[in-house]
Amino acid sequence: MSSLSMALRLTPYLARSSGSSLRETGLRDAGLPILAFGTVTALLLTVAGGSQVFWSWSDDIAGTYQALAVVAMVLLVIPLLTLGASAARLAARRRDDRLASLRLLGANSATVVWMTVIESTVLAAVGAVAGAGLYACMAPFLGLIQFRGQAIGSHAWLSVPSILGCILAVCVLAAASAALGLRKVVVTPLGVRTRQTADGAHWVRGLIAAVVVVIGVVAMGMLSSFGAFIVIIAVMGGCFGLALLALNLMGPWILKLRASSQLKRAKKPEHLLAARTVLESPKESWRQVGGVAMTSFVGVFVGVGMAVADTMGGSAGDETALLVRDINTGVMITLLGSFLMVACSAGVNQAAAVLDRASTLVALDRVGMPRKLMVAARVKAVMSPLFLVAGVSAAAAAVLVLPLTGAVLLTQPVVFLTIGGVFAAGFLLVRLAVAAGTAQIGQVLARPERYASMGS
Amino acid sequence: MNAILHAQQLTKHYPGSIALDHVDFIANAGESIAIIGPSGSGKTTLLHCLAGILRPDAGTITLSTPTAPLRLDTLGDAALSRLRREEFGFVFQQGMLLPELTAVENVALALMLNGTDRATSESRAAEWLGALGLAGMEQRRLGELSGGQVQRVAIARAQVTGARVVFADEPTGALDSATSNEVLDVLLRSVAANGRTLLVVTHDPNVAARCQRVVELRDGRIVADSGSAVAAPAQPAPATTSFKGAFNV
Repeated sequence: MSSLSMALRLTPYLARSSGSSLRETGLRDAGLPILAFGTVTALLLTVAGGSQVFWSWSDDIAGTYQALAVVAMVLLVIPLLTLGASAARLAARRRDDRLASLRLLGANSATVVWMTVIESTVLAAVGAVAGAGLYACMAPFLGLIQFRGQAIGSHAWLSVPSILGCILAVCVLAAASAALGLRKVVVTPLGVRTRQTADGAHWVRGLIAAVVVVIGVVAMGMLSSFGAFIVIIAVMGGCFGLALLALNLMGPWILKLRASSQLKRAKKPEHLLAARTVLESPKESWRQVGGVAMTSFVGVFVGVGMAVADTMGGSAGDETALLVRDINTGVMITLLGSFLMVACSAGVNQAAAVLDRASTLVALDRVGMPRKLMVAARVKAVMSPLFLVAGVSAAAAAVLVLPLTGAVLLTQPVVFLTIGGVFAAGFLLVRLAVAAGTAQIGQVLARPERYASMGS
Repeated sequence: MNAILHAQQLTKHYPGSIALDHVDFIANAGESIAIIGPSGSGKTTLLHCLAGILRPDAGTITLSTPTAPLRLDTLGDAALSRLRREEFGFVFQQGMLLPELTAVENVALALMLNGTDRATSESRAAEWLGALGLAGMEQRRLGELSGGQVQRVAIARAQVTGARVVFADEPTGALDSATSNEVLDVLLRSVAANGRTLLVVTHDPNVAARCQRVVELRDGRIVADSGSAVAAPAQPAPATTSFKGAFNV
């Protein structure tokens, strides 16, 4: 019998209740991944629905709209992959005793991997269907959004095959990222553990990023010499891409530097633990909050750029003014989506991380470490990099459009207030998601016998 | 001898079974006591009740303190957590230390949790690690230490706060016999040198043989107790370490 067919036969057994109450069926543990995949699907459908109208246009400027829609989708798909991997880790972890038992009974590694991928995909499917329902509820409101001066209207409604296709795509992406994410998880007959690998962040990353930023600054400085509006937009897009590349290169290195500094200054146990958690894997920390880097960068870069373009819009004609306004609308939707995505990812990551360390947390509880301190350390390990990443990214964008930043600050301060408000809402979302993830600590400590490696 | 922990009529049920059946138990200050018995006999449950990790269904547990006796079975969760931080130390089978921290940070954390500042905590932690044969390894992460060295770090963490009672649950269960002897030697000598009381749950007769007193449980009852009056002093292992008796940290 192949590993896949055996996994298909065994997976339903794993889904059965291990206890007498609904709370013990695993539904509670599954709630977070389902919620996360649901949110992601709703977002993808919203962006796809919102941009559907672009594809019905065929004039000169339609291409710009279509390109921007693709960029928005890409910005959402990348965090979706991270989320899928985290959800798979969580799936493996919450079933660790059963998976280890199956290995003990002779199931091979491939069977266990298939079972976890199947379970993650089922969770993704349940979440995706729920997300489609959420999208259906939101679509009437989505129809009120205006592009090129007209409400999207019925264009907000995707066809049934498109919705099914999106659900299928989420499931496929979830399955693929689950399989990739499980490379870090080892299921042995004695238990489940996450591979610990040295995960440094070299300063060369910072150097390369600096070079990339310089190229971007030079290109932005020559912006006025490019003439045509569409070319300017293209150059700005290129600079945007370079900046994202720089952020991704620099991110883990900056987090490492900051955490090292915090480690030296740490006076309280939770600060020490938080700094060490980041230093343990700066890349992992970056993967959790990296989405906000893009969000913050987009927020400031496009916010400032469009505010200036809006001022020039009157002279450039109605078409350009509408484009500027529409880009602003699109950016706001993408910003919201990006923050939601990061929040989902952070929540699922924290839940998986808590289960990864469940036995140690039980031991720490037994030696008297207060639960609130364990939570505080985890919250700080996420929120501190988040604030740093958002601040540095926003500053990088502001520097990139430096002369314009000053002008907008003086002439349109409301732009900065709006950006600040979006950031504050985003931080709150992530904080709530982390709280949902760390709530798993209480569940672990409520059932210590399941996680502690103790005797009789 | 002075009783430091006194349990009376301790009873604990699990669904479908009784883990402790009216157990009376006294641990005297400075004793090393091995708790043995087959799987499911209730030895870990007894250890957890005595340490304030589990709450008994019936019976009392009294800890002698310099001021007044303290009834563990009446304390709330927060008070029990504080008690475990300040009065007790723990050594688990797998160490159960934080892998992202260095050896010295793992030990210092126990002091920091009690409000000691970081510099003092790390200084005292380093002294303990040095005394337990880990000088020069303070800044190593746990992944860079052997199983026996990790257990030494756990032993240092258990005692650095000045805990009066050290609870150990199969502390050598995951080690080979030579390393097991070394770790047990370090554990017994360090608790004895500092006047601590040691309660060890073990399946290993060699571990039990080197404790002053052996208590055997079966089906939730104490069926044998060698008694402190007839106990021999802790027996050091054959010379397997370079220990020079510098445990008075």
